[in-house]
Amino acid sequence: MNHLERWQRKWRRLTWGDVISTIIFLLPLLIFLVILYGMLAWTFYVSMADWRGTAPNYTFVGLKWYKLMFSLDRFWVDVRNNLKWMILGVLPTTFVALLLAYLLEIASLPGTESYIRTLILYPVAMSFVVTGTIWSWMYQPDKGVFNTILRALGLDFLTGRFTTDPATATYWLILIFVWQYLGFAVIILQSSFRTAELQEMIEAATVDGAGRLRILFSVIVPNIRGGMLILISLLLISALKVFDIVYVVTFGGPGYSTDVLAFFMFIATFQQHLVALGAGLGVIIFLLAFVVVIPYTIYAFRKWFE
Amino acid sequence: MKAYRVSRWATVLGLLLVLALLVGACAQPTPQVVTKEVEKVVKETVVVTQVVEKVVTKEVEKVVTKEVVVTPTPKPEEKKLEIFHWWTAGGEREAADAMFKVFKEKYPDVEIVENPVAGGGGVSHRVVLQARLSAGLPPDTWQTLGGAELKSYVDGGYLEPLDDLYAELKYKDVIPQPLYNAVTIEGHPYSVPLNMHIQNILYYNKKLFDELGLTPPTTYDELMSVVKAIKEAKPDMAPLGLGTKEKWEAAFLFDSILLEEGGPEYYVKLYKGEIDVKNDPTYKKALEKLQALLPYVYPYHSNLTWDESCGLLVSGDSAMVIMGTWAIGYFKSRGWTPGEDFGAVTFPQKPERILLFHPDTYGKAKNAPHPQTVMLWLKTVASPELQIPTDVIQGGLFARLDIDPKEFPDPIRQELQTYVRDNPQKLILDQHGSIAPFSFTQAYWDAVAAFIADPNVDSTLSTVSDLFQIYDVKKEAAWYKWP
Repeated sequence: MNHLERWQRKWRRLTWGDVISTIIFLLPLLIFLVILYGMLAWTFYVSMADWRGTAPNYTFVGLKWYKLMFSLDRFWVDVRNNLKWMILGVLPTTFVALLLAYLLEIASLPGTESYIRTLILYPVAMSFVVTGTIWSWMYQPDKGVFNTILRALGLDFLTGRFTTDPATATYWLILIFVWQYLGFAVIILQSSFRTAELQEMIEAATVDGAGRLRILFSVIVPNIRGGMLILISLLLISALKVFDIVYVVTFGGPGYSTDVLAFFMFIATFQQHLVALGAGLGVIIFLLAFVVVIPYTIYAFRKWFE
Repeated sequence: MKAYRVSRWATVLGLLLVLALLVGACAQPTPQVVTKEVEKVVKETVVVTQVVEKVVTKEVEKVVTKEVVVTPTPKPEEKKLEIFHWWTAGGEREAADAMFKVFKEKYPDVEIVENPVAGGGGVSHRVVLQARLSAGLPPDTWQTLGGAELKSYVDGGYLEPLDDLYAELKYKDVIPQPLYNAVTIEGHPYSVPLNMHIQNILYYNKKLFDELGLTPPTTYDELMSVVKAIKEAKPDMAPLGLGTKEKWEAAFLFDSILLEEGGPEYYVKLYKGEIDVKNDPTYKKALEKLQALLPYVYPYHSNLTWDESCGLLVSGDSAMVIMGTWAIGYFKSRGWTPGEDFGAVTFPQKPERILLFHPDTYGKAKNAPHPQTVMLWLKTVASPELQIPTDVIQGGLFARLDIDPKEFPDPIRQELQTYVRDNPQKLILDQHGSIAPFSFTQAYWDAVAAFIADPNVDSTLSTVSDLFQIYDVKKEAAWYKWP
């Protein structure tokens, strides 16, 4: 019996109750979609309206605020910083997580694995506001933990200005992100290792005498594309919309050297009262996120039609 | 025959639907006049469109409608006051409590509904308030700074002018003229100030200054020689403390230099957008002077908020800091006694002693839910009974000039209040009160903070000059009148 026949049979058996219950179950989804896409459309419109100040103003002015946005040095600093976040926040996390996850799989001493996993996963459970505050204390150049330890060890030449140096501040912020998302990445990768197919392949490769690194890169990595894609997409989106770390640790400073799009959106809307500009920045973030999820979407669709 | 498995509630729903359709589609078969009496408890002004006559013939259907305007039945106002403010931090919370205590004593039957939002200077406060205002659900009254912030609410049409209240209380005569100007937009006062904060105060570690035999500086040149002397005596110290995490602190420091370099008229003209910054020698000179000072400034300033930068004095990392009057409360909370552990001078005092100020004020919302109670509140805010306990705790000066400066416990504010009473014309709106619009000020703070973190005179000149153009400061700041 093929799909079509099955569908037709089902269709014929459909009752009023089925129809109504379907509508009832679809309704929340529809409302959700209307609100979500309605709001998106609204934001898009506001970005082309002349809304500055506290009162809404929906006069259409076209691309006026986008032109202003592109003329601001701050916007381009933000774009550069967001790119840094998306590259340096995602690739090292994925790579280190891959090694860690594999290490936990192969070298687990009985009983310790769950402890280590909890330890690695723990930072994910905390809010960025909490970890950001702790890290900013550690980064404090004159009284923070890092420099104090380095000075105590006589390694004064290694002490740094961390987040107070405009040239490198963003990298220290990204390090917090990597640290915090590592456990999450490990969990996702570990779960994608544990398919029966993959385990068989690993066994076969072991029997054939392949080394552990060889197994990792030639057997495991090519076969966990789904998990990797999900992980990288999620990390990319988190890196793209990062706000809390910046807000808590540097507030965009020194100057606006660690500013990111989401933070500028907040400043523009609620501090500068340029609501249209803020909406425009929101649209830019949305478009970037859209580009980021395209590879995953393509993969997902392929899988669907396989 | 196939039995339809229709559940009971589905049947009911279906029936209702059919019924609704029937009712909607029903037509009158013969010409007839429909009259109906409407009885309704009216709570608000509504326009009721009532079908009075409906004449139906075979070809023509004519509907005659009549509009009936119903005004609300007057109803006694609830004794309630909904208020938004951001005084939640230590010292400020106590000031808010003192403020409400005075009001409660006067009007014990009014219930105060507070919506305090945490965050210094009202950063988060504005987010919440903005949402309420755009949704058309204003609180009765809310805290706002005078100047550009107040103007943004007036421009949005969210506040009512208070000319009658000012006339009744003769409030204009008891507050300094520059303060009145800071709450007056296009000739109408829109809010009632209860204090004044002064921005350009230099605090110094008095014991250290006595030890080194230094006098507190009141000009840039004196400041330079003092920082050099301190650096020589205490090489580990950063003589001038600074925290620029929230950016405005950077503009505070720069304002002090700018005010001395250009004088008060220049300062006002600058923030009104009437100076061509790119080719302006005064602005350039001020930037260079700031750059020359930077080696003596706390180097990790971008990590610190204003209170942490004042903490540098207490911990002995710095000897001086330029901060507003609210720092007095902070030093006291750290156990420092004014006049003993720390002193304060107005900085600069050349070419003349100008005080840069901003007020905390309360206005009356348009369509306030409790309009009568708000007026009671505003009258209380204007009264010395409220200003004395509140301002003494919170840290500013009294808005009213007829209050005895001796009401302040510390010598610093006694002296400042006396100076303001005798020279009310020496007040100019500061960075917080802001002559220029909000959109500009925020971006300007960032530019100055960026300069302090990584000084580059030429690029800063062109950035600042662009900001004046982009945010149309000349037009937006035209409302400000000084003196």
